[in-house]
Amino acid sequence: MTYEEFADTRLAPLLRYAVMLTGDPHQAQDLVQETMVRVQLNWRRVAHADSPERYVRRMLTNQYVDWKRGSWMRRVLLRGDPDESLPASVDHAQSAVDRDQIWTWLSRLPRRQRATLVLRYYEDLPDAEIADILGCAVGTVRSSISRALATLRAEYVEVRS
Amino acid sequence: MIEDDLRAAFVRHEPLAPPTGPLRAAIDRLTIRRRRRRRRWQAGGTALALLAVLVLGVPLLTPEPAGPPPTAELLSESGRPAPTGALNVLLLGIDGAGPEGARADAVLLVHIPADRSRPYLVSLPRDLGVPIPGQGTDKLNAAFPFGAGFTRPEMTKGYELTRRTVTELTGVRVDAGMVLTYRAVRSLTDAVGGVPACLPEAVRSVHTKRLFPAGCHRLDGAASVDLLRQRYGLPAGTQDRDRNARVFAAGLVRQAADQGVLTDPVRLAKLLTIVGPDLVVSPDRGAVLDLLRLVPTLRSVDPVGLSLPVAGLLEKDRYLRTDPKLAPEFLTALREDRLGDWTARYPKLVDSAR
Repeated sequence: MTYEEFADTRLAPLLRYAVMLTGDPHQAQDLVQETMVRVQLNWRRVAHADSPERYVRRMLTNQYVDWKRGSWMRRVLLRGDPDESLPASVDHAQSAVDRDQIWTWLSRLPRRQRATLVLRYYEDLPDAEIADILGCAVGTVRSSISRALATLRAEYVEVRS
Repeated sequence: MIEDDLRAAFVRHEPLAPPTGPLRAAIDRLTIRRRRRRRRWQAGGTALALLAVLVLGVPLLTPEPAGPPPTAELLSESGRPAPTGALNVLLLGIDGAGPEGARADAVLLVHIPADRSRPYLVSLPRDLGVPIPGQGTDKLNAAFPFGAGFTRPEMTKGYELTRRTVTELTGVRVDAGMVLTYRAVRSLTDAVGGVPACLPEAVRSVHTKRLFPAGCHRLDGAASVDLLRQRYGLPAGTQDRDRNARVFAAGLVRQAADQGVLTDPVRLAKLLTIVGPDLVVSPDRGAVLDLLRLVPTLRSVDPVGLSLPVAGLLEKDRYLRTDPKLAPEFLTALREDRLGDWTARYPKLVDSAR
């Protein structure tokens, strides 16, 4: 497989995956761009992997989890939680706002936990593959998913009460 | 139930994903820029390494009995400090397989500035009329056969007279030198797996009828030699050939760097055994080892291709003359190690990078 063939078919799904990870189209673009530049520079090694697709997803996920660069951190901190102040007065929109609150809560999760949620509930990957992508044990994947879900449930309870 | 909400939230946000077209273009642009930066890094740092390594091949060939393989010396530390100040290495490309009737088709001065910024490849036109010590005025390329002698020609003597001629012409000290035959060029090119070269205009070989279209090529050993021999039919004759030789030399350095040949002692030693027998080098091996130690101090940039400015037309005159206005300025810049200023002032006289 050539890099061009790979990009033809995989760029769009990777971009969607990055949107789910970051929750933001611009950050997703940055993340995918940085990863794909490295993919292209090291294409021979990527192409030799058992599954180039999984190899690249792993690169991108690690990039997301480890991204410590100043610009990235600053942007995350500046983001704040604007959605919380959304007026929730219109009744028929109430359920939509409820659901979008999930999106806000997701952004507060540690990046690793968010990645596990995306991989299981958006990409529908089995736990073993998630563990492979994150480079950890299957047990760690499960515990981190249950912790993330517990956090989200707590938020639910808080809003309802 | 929260799981279902999560799934729904993800799917609902799918439209957030931006279009891939502009992103893909940005990725390609950035990749090219980084690849270029990386290559320049490697090429610049190793430009001299290649030369020094080639020069090291000499001992294999000089009259003295073959000593230990040069790789041993290459890897061992020696007490001499790395040279400081600007350095000039003289490269002669010789036509023919041996010294018999050989003339210097290409006379190339490699200038390493004192700030170690980047190597400069300076061609001296072989048809330039110059005073040759003890021989009166003749073409520069005649210095080699005059020096080598005609009854039992010796390459080292041909090199020596050319070196003295070049020193008188330019006023710069030549610190080391090397004589390359076409056969050495061919084996070297094949040993590094071909050399990339971009030609500004098409070249038709009068020897093999092969056409080299304008644009970028990957040349194997035979094609390289074929290309380097061509001067008839080129708009500016030998000056265009000199330019092709500079383009080729820069490509050779890049290729060797890309292949990692220069950082791998095993491949290096192999290369030396392939090319060694076709090389002749200046007798001072110490200077050569000094050159090698200088390599890590080089900042990394591609070689810059230049030519000594000349005037006159071969159809009309017997020799080319140095350009009365530009040549003195150029030679002063070369002597005073200010070629950077020169290239900034006359960008049109610099070979385009690739």
